[in-house]
Amino acid sequence: MSDYLRLEVRRTLRDTGFVIGGIAMPVMMYLLFTNIGENDGAWKTASMVGMAAYGAVGSALNTGGAVAEDRAVGWLRQLRVTPMTPRQVVTGRALTGAVTVLPAIVAVLAAGGLVNGVRLAAWQWAVITLLLWLGSIPFTLLGLGNGYRLTGPATGVANMVCNLGLAVVGGLWFPITLFPDWLRSLSAYTPTNRFAQLGTSVADGHSPAPGAMLVLAAWLLAFGSYAVLSYRRSAENI
Amino acid sequence: MTQTENTAVSFTGAVKTYGEVRAVDGIDLEIARGETVALLGRNGAGKSTTIALLLGLLEPDTGTVALFGAPPERSVRAGRVGAMLQEARAVPRVTVGELVSFVASRYPAPLPVAQALELAGIAELTGRRVDRLSGGQLQRVRFAVALAGNPALLVLDEPTAALDVEARHAFWDSMRAYAHRGHTVLFSTHYLEEADAHADRIVVVDRGRIVADGTGEELRRAAGGNLVSFDLAGQGTDGLALLPGVRSVEVLGGRARLRTDDSDATVIALAGLGAIRGLEVVRASLDDAFLALTSRPTETSPPSETSRPSKVELV
Repeated sequence: MSDYLRLEVRRTLRDTGFVIGGIAMPVMMYLLFTNIGENDGAWKTASMVGMAAYGAVGSALNTGGAVAEDRAVGWLRQLRVTPMTPRQVVTGRALTGAVTVLPAIVAVLAAGGLVNGVRLAAWQWAVITLLLWLGSIPFTLLGLGNGYRLTGPATGVANMVCNLGLAVVGGLWFPITLFPDWLRSLSAYTPTNRFAQLGTSVADGHSPAPGAMLVLAAWLLAFGSYAVLSYRRSAENI
Repeated sequence: MTQTENTAVSFTGAVKTYGEVRAVDGIDLEIARGETVALLGRNGAGKSTTIALLLGLLEPDTGTVALFGAPPERSVRAGRVGAMLQEARAVPRVTVGELVSFVASRYPAPLPVAQALELAGIAELTGRRVDRLSGGQLQRVRFAVALAGNPALLVLDEPTAALDVEARHAFWDSMRAYAHRGHTVLFSTHYLEEADAHADRIVVVDRGRIVADGTGEELRRAAGGNLVSFDLAGQGTDGLALLPGVRSVEVLGGRARLRTDDSDATVIALAGLGAIRGLEVVRASLDDAFLALTSRPTETSPPSETSRPSKVELV
């Protein structure tokens, strides 16, 4: 299992599209959005968490893109004729997703601390990283659901729509205080908004709201079921 | 060893349908350990579906498939099977060495990676990215992946499709070297010469059924050892199929071609009919045998035979 994880993580990190789109882009967008015009320290912190979340969501969804690609080239089928069980392959893929979201989170937080001068207590940095890491699991499952269900190009499109749509509506790019009322109420039910909230609560010095946990748990269940259904549907064709 | 332990592959009445299409239409097949068997058939004959059933990638609708006396999935999990699948493309962003050693490490008793690469003739490609190789090189990487685990059964689905002549020779040398270690090898092909040259036994598949099973020589004999042809010169073909020895009748460009088990008797009978203009007797080639065994329903068949070619019975 650890061999498989190592192999897939290595393959992901060799993907230029992933490194640029999944790691460099969120960092650049963060630095851009917080250094044009007048900005207070609070926005630098909130946007740091938002963009780290955005990067994590993109990287998590990318796992699904990789699955679609591996299906298309026959790699998953080849694995089926080795002693690896399907369960090991899926678990290995999900763990790969868990590992490959970390660079984006760490890179954006580092940009916040080192470039933008965000100051937080050591425990806050650690807990934010941990929560953003764990909170990305639903998005990995969403990506896997897309990757097992759709063709390679369709997975790319679906992931991009999910990523941009959820990022914007969830307030990862712009503060939701700029949104009209109806959009702001909608935003509170998006997984991305609640995902970032895990981090912003801790940055503000308190624990995440139960509402955030509840909404995320509901999405975890929904995306998890979607992933399982997609996987079952495609299992014979892999 | 018991019968089961000595049997590598066993199909019993396996059927797999896709909607109306019976891709595999009742296959019975036993392959003993150590045999090298070619699965020969046209495109769409059911070879790939047969292989997918054998590897446990598909479940038969009815009938059973077993590898080493166990369900295919179990034997695959136990590391007794390695396969080179058709239409697999390059795994992106991985080197040859990484890929082959990863697959090898899944198996309980793999070949040393260097040896697997050597056998597949790609030792010099170890550090190269798989997605930057030529088609022929990639084909050999896939061969290395198939044999990396040192599996007791090696399954190769159209293994030489992307290879040029030279690479093809090198490939078959490697395959034979692997088979000589006592392993069972099953490969599919639509090249007769490959089947004849590299397999101990040829299983001919057509329309989802096994239509012949034997050595190249046995297939030649079974298909009717000789071809007797003559100019019809306006005469009909009535009764030709009933002449002694005749197994099938075809008409091509005004010439009748009789496939016969006993060309002497056929010729004497033809002489009796006065049908000897441009008479010619030739030994059936393996190509002729293949065509005869997999003849399309539109071609002429003698009334004495069923529409399907008869199965070759072997002792």
